[in-house]
Amino acid sequence: MAHILLRDLDIPDIWQFDTYVANGGYEGLKQAIGNHTPAEVIQIVLDANLRGRGGAGFPTGRKWSFIPQNEAVKYVVVNADESEPGTFKDRQLLEKNPHQVIEGAMIAAYAIQATAVYIYCRGEFWDLAHALEERIEEARQANLVGENVLGSGWNCPMFVHLGAGAYICGEESALLNSLQGLLGQPRVRPPFPAQKGGGLYYEPTVVNNVETLANVPWILVNGADAFKQIGTSESPGPKIFCMSGHIARPGNYELPLGITFRELIFEHAGGIPNGKQLKGILPSGASGPVLRATDEVLDSPLTYESVAKLGSTLGSASFILMDEDTDMVWAAAKMAHFFKHESCGKCTPCREGTYWLERIYERMMRGEGTEHDLHLLNSVPRQMVGVVLCALGDFAANPVLSTLKNFPDEYERYIRQRPVREQTADTLQDYARKEAGEHPAAVGEGGL
Amino acid sequence: MTDTVTITIDGQDFEVPKGMNLVDAAKLHGIGIPVFCYHPKLDPVGMCRMCLVELGNVAIDRTTGAPELDEQGNPVIRWFPKLQTACTQTVSQGMVLRTTSDMVVEGRENILEFLLTSHPLDCPVCDKGGECPLQNLTMAYGPGESRFIYDDKIRLAKHVPLGKLIYLDRERCIQCARCTRFCDEIVGDDVLAFHERGRRLQIVTISDPPFDTKFSGNTTDICPVGALTTTDFRFGARPWELTEVSTICPYCPVGCNLNASTRMDREFGGKAMIKRIMPRQNERVNEIWICDKGRFGHHHSRHEERLLAPLMRNKSGELVEVEWPAVYKAIAKQLKAHGDQAGFVGDSTLSNEDLWELRRLAELSGGSPRLGLWPATMSGGDVVAQVGVGSETRLQDLGPGSVILVMASDFEEEAPIWWLQVKQAADRGAKVVVANARPTKLDRYASAVIHYRYDEAVGVLNSFTAPLLSGDGQLGQGNGWGALQSDLQNAEVTHADTANLLASAENLVIFLGSEGLTLEQHAELMQAAANLLIVSGHVGRPNNGLIPVWPGANVQGAWDMGFSAEATADLLANPPALWVIGGADVAGEDIRMATALEQAEFVVVTAQFMTPTAAHADIVLPRQSFAERAGTYTNGLRRVQRFYPAQGPIGDALPDWKIFAHVSAQMGGPRPPVAAGTIFRDIAQRVERYIGMDYTRLAWFEPQFPDVGGDDLYYGGTAYSNYGGLGLQWPAEAEAEQPQFSVRPVRTAAPQTDGLTLVPVWVLFDRGHLFEKSELMHHRMPQPYAAFNPDDAARLGLTDGDRVTLAVEGHELTVTAQVGDDNPAGAVLLPRRLSGDATLSTPAACTVQKIESMQKVEG
Repeated sequence: MAHILLRDLDIPDIWQFDTYVANGGYEGLKQAIGNHTPAEVIQIVLDANLRGRGGAGFPTGRKWSFIPQNEAVKYVVVNADESEPGTFKDRQLLEKNPHQVIEGAMIAAYAIQATAVYIYCRGEFWDLAHALEERIEEARQANLVGENVLGSGWNCPMFVHLGAGAYICGEESALLNSLQGLLGQPRVRPPFPAQKGGGLYYEPTVVNNVETLANVPWILVNGADAFKQIGTSESPGPKIFCMSGHIARPGNYELPLGITFRELIFEHAGGIPNGKQLKGILPSGASGPVLRATDEVLDSPLTYESVAKLGSTLGSASFILMDEDTDMVWAAAKMAHFFKHESCGKCTPCREGTYWLERIYERMMRGEGTEHDLHLLNSVPRQMVGVVLCALGDFAANPVLSTLKNFPDEYERYIRQRPVREQTADTLQDYARKEAGEHPAAVGEGGL
Repeated sequence: MTDTVTITIDGQDFEVPKGMNLVDAAKLHGIGIPVFCYHPKLDPVGMCRMCLVELGNVAIDRTTGAPELDEQGNPVIRWFPKLQTACTQTVSQGMVLRTTSDMVVEGRENILEFLLTSHPLDCPVCDKGGECPLQNLTMAYGPGESRFIYDDKIRLAKHVPLGKLIYLDRERCIQCARCTRFCDEIVGDDVLAFHERGRRLQIVTISDPPFDTKFSGNTTDICPVGALTTTDFRFGARPWELTEVSTICPYCPVGCNLNASTRMDREFGGKAMIKRIMPRQNERVNEIWICDKGRFGHHHSRHEERLLAPLMRNKSGELVEVEWPAVYKAIAKQLKAHGDQAGFVGDSTLSNEDLWELRRLAELSGGSPRLGLWPATMSGGDVVAQVGVGSETRLQDLGPGSVILVMASDFEEEAPIWWLQVKQAADRGAKVVVANARPTKLDRYASAVIHYRYDEAVGVLNSFTAPLLSGDGQLGQGNGWGALQSDLQNAEVTHADTANLLASAENLVIFLGSEGLTLEQHAELMQAAANLLIVSGHVGRPNNGLIPVWPGANVQGAWDMGFSAEATADLLANPPALWVIGGADVAGEDIRMATALEQAEFVVVTAQFMTPTAAHADIVLPRQSFAERAGTYTNGLRRVQRFYPAQGPIGDALPDWKIFAHVSAQMGGPRPPVAAGTIFRDIAQRVERYIGMDYTRLAWFEPQFPDVGGDDLYYGGTAYSNYGGLGLQWPAEAEAEQPQFSVRPVRTAAPQTDGLTLVPVWVLFDRGHLFEKSELMHHRMPQPYAAFNPDDAARLGLTDGDRVTLAVEGHELTVTAQVGDDNPAGAVLLPRRLSGDATLSTPAACTVQKIESMQKVEG
């Protein structure tokens, strides 16, 4: 079957404007503007039950419908701050099939009658961002972006903005702050981005993931019913699965939602190399709970609902696979370090909790872990969950709690046999202490 | 629609105002929800997560829109599955809170355990220890012990200067962002920010010079831990050793309520000494804010150069120490000889009691008393009495529908806390109109800015008034309506939109300064403002009327006690043989006064320091500072406020009233009163405006909400509750039941001539003889300068930084030239009190000479 999203696999030159148009590109935008009112476009996307591909799986049409129609200024923001460990799908879309994202964003903008579209790229995407600006210019010259789009009288310029390299700016309200030039910290909600006061420059704003928007042109051309033919009724449509870790053929795979873990890992991605057994699965990067690769898990379908039933999340479907030789405590330590490094520091439980967790893992990596530490690992993350300002604090608890639950024996080993992983411990130590700005000289007088 | 809703907190029902957040709503009914980042003067941010509560809302049936009911007919409550932050949630009808459930208790314990993982255990050496919200809340809600390993604590720099006034201890900071939010939201100075992220998140100053705001000290008050401390107080004393004394700021017309924290101190001979100055909450005056001048400007009260004994000139003309009785006799003798020719001048730092006794002395001396006030820059005490702002005006009540006109004043420099409050009113939706000859900082919050030539000031107000006179004038049918009407019928309407804005305002407050105006011109400007207020009907009620930006703390009181700027001008025009000067450094500030004193036969001065004025005097009397004695000041909103003795006495210094009363007694007057309160009783019987007031009534107080300064440290700040008195306002004549208004046409100034005019301006951080003694503020005081317009500078061949000589009325002043686009043409702006050299109080013609021969600096 031809790809819907990763069309570059079928047509390598599709990043070029002419090739894209020659292969049916911008038909969706033309149909939206030519044949439908904005309200109809929202209805079509609602009918298709397209769910957000950024991780939360919120119905995209619903999100668009929250935007108040009578506001003068409204924005669409494309979340291209793809920072989740193990996620690299948006990058391929923006690099290899950028016009489809631009088209999807313009359809979203038309649906809410936006004033402008901003594409927020993570800081490391600087080369991609410059190329994207050229693609936008091509679309503008073809009257698909900018003033009087397709003669409709509606103006909507599109801009690319580069972040400064912060995971938290993938969180939509932190992203909006960063886009405004403020510190990348999440906002208190309500007001939500769709409401007056909550969005970009405090105007109603739709924030959509790159992959979500890439689905939209196809839906406009082929209809909601055709979209629902793909995948399951609760989770329709194609999904890009990012495969990394201990896997034979790492990379992006576009497959319908509803296939099983086993099909994805063993049939499509080639299974585990070197004849090893699969032990742990991270289905949604570092932020989702780790699953133990049991038969029950492997035979479960990949939908938002069924992965939730297993006690994890499908999220952005970035699979990090770990074979039988993987030290799960070590893996959890690495993730604890990641979240400590990326916590924005705005709210207390996340700022202090991630720091504390890293300290405990550092001790374990030095072979100094105790029964007390095990007790702390069971309780500190629970003190964070649910009382934090944004989801990052909840995510930070996941790798700890899920490895404790699924691999208790490995933690026991760290307490009883106390293996030493000095190098890992040093990484944790260095980042935690030196980057924190500790200056021994400054501690001096009056210090502790 | 009612303005309240009913909510249930821990099983009890309460009526609370709509739109209030849950923390305030609970506090209103005495239920504490602990907070760190939330502060009632700042927008909630939900960062610290300390205010977690269990929260339930009334379930609404989506089909009917009505509340769902259970079998008993009670509304079904839908509980949030997780704890919610109370500061970010506002009340709604039927909302249910649990603040003491196990889930909440555990939630708070967890947050405190987290906060304390990174907080150092240095309470025993921390300045905040003893009045620290983190300490208090840890005792009340903490887990009791930490499971965090002590060696894992993060160690950070503990002495990070944020400018020269405030130090940051990075270890103690709990990242609540109160300080950055204060700078951003309340002041609008973008000087503090967060740097980095996560556990590395830290406060940095991003301005040059660092922490460049006039309000920096307030951040140390609202800091809920000991992270921010002032250079003035850090390591100075422990809070539990301090005795709190209520006092009033002696510097500007706002009349900020202060709290002097005092201690018997080794450094002060075992006497009570001011260790720090803090704001004292008065929601009618300064709320909980004070400027850095008020906070750090108290060092003069115990400076080593304080005068300790009376001084009198001996036969060879030297000032030598003498006993009090000798000087009383000598002064009485002089007054008996020259009494009918004596001139009396009272400073704006003199209390009402001082001024009253000075007046009594003048009355005893014979002739009609000549009572001048200082600084003599503003006229119009009578106008203020007529159309002054209505009683119970609160600047924090000004919002949408209100218009605030600020004219002829560099507002932030002259009255910082009013500036702060007007800025916040603008943020709330009030329209601010700024009129001056040059841009000032308030312009950025203004809906309309009018720049006029100094001589056009009256014309600007007239152009607002003129269109309102077209009808018969239903409101202002008082005296002079017709005359004003015919005078203004041909007036040019130059700012029609602004005139409209002012006329249609629900509330109109006019702040009037006197920049660029002579005393006569200012009298006319005050009348023009009165005309506008009366004709537009913005008088006689709260939040409407005139507020003069008086040039000192008790100028209003001086007017009330019978002193006037006109009398000062008259003393200069017809100099008396004998001067009695209370407190003011007239010769150090004004070249005309210096000349007059040189020519006088006999000069008596009360002074704290050997000022140029004291150096001119034949008798110098050591006066007590505001810190050592009791008294009252009357602020620009006519609020009479008490201050109390905070500091032990120094040398033989006495309060001015006592000195004057003793001389009066020597002259045959009554025995000196024993206390300031006795004098105030006298005032209250003889000054109509003060009838009914006494020290007990002035000391009244009531619970103020939000109770920021509460002893329970509920909102976690170290501002103080007001137990010293909220003061009393005397009503303006316009507030009478049947007010007698009078308007009259005003003369406009003669157009400015071609020559340059020297225009005195105010700088907050000046080198006035009292503030200068606070050495820690010297780095904030600009070097003496005169500011020129680029065109004028070009004509004079001046560039920025040139040394120039200004010649005015036969005197020469040497300063550095500053050239900037913002300076008005034809004017040379000369800040007062920036050097030891006397300048001018009111504008005068001047000539400018560039100093060509710059000596080359060696090396």
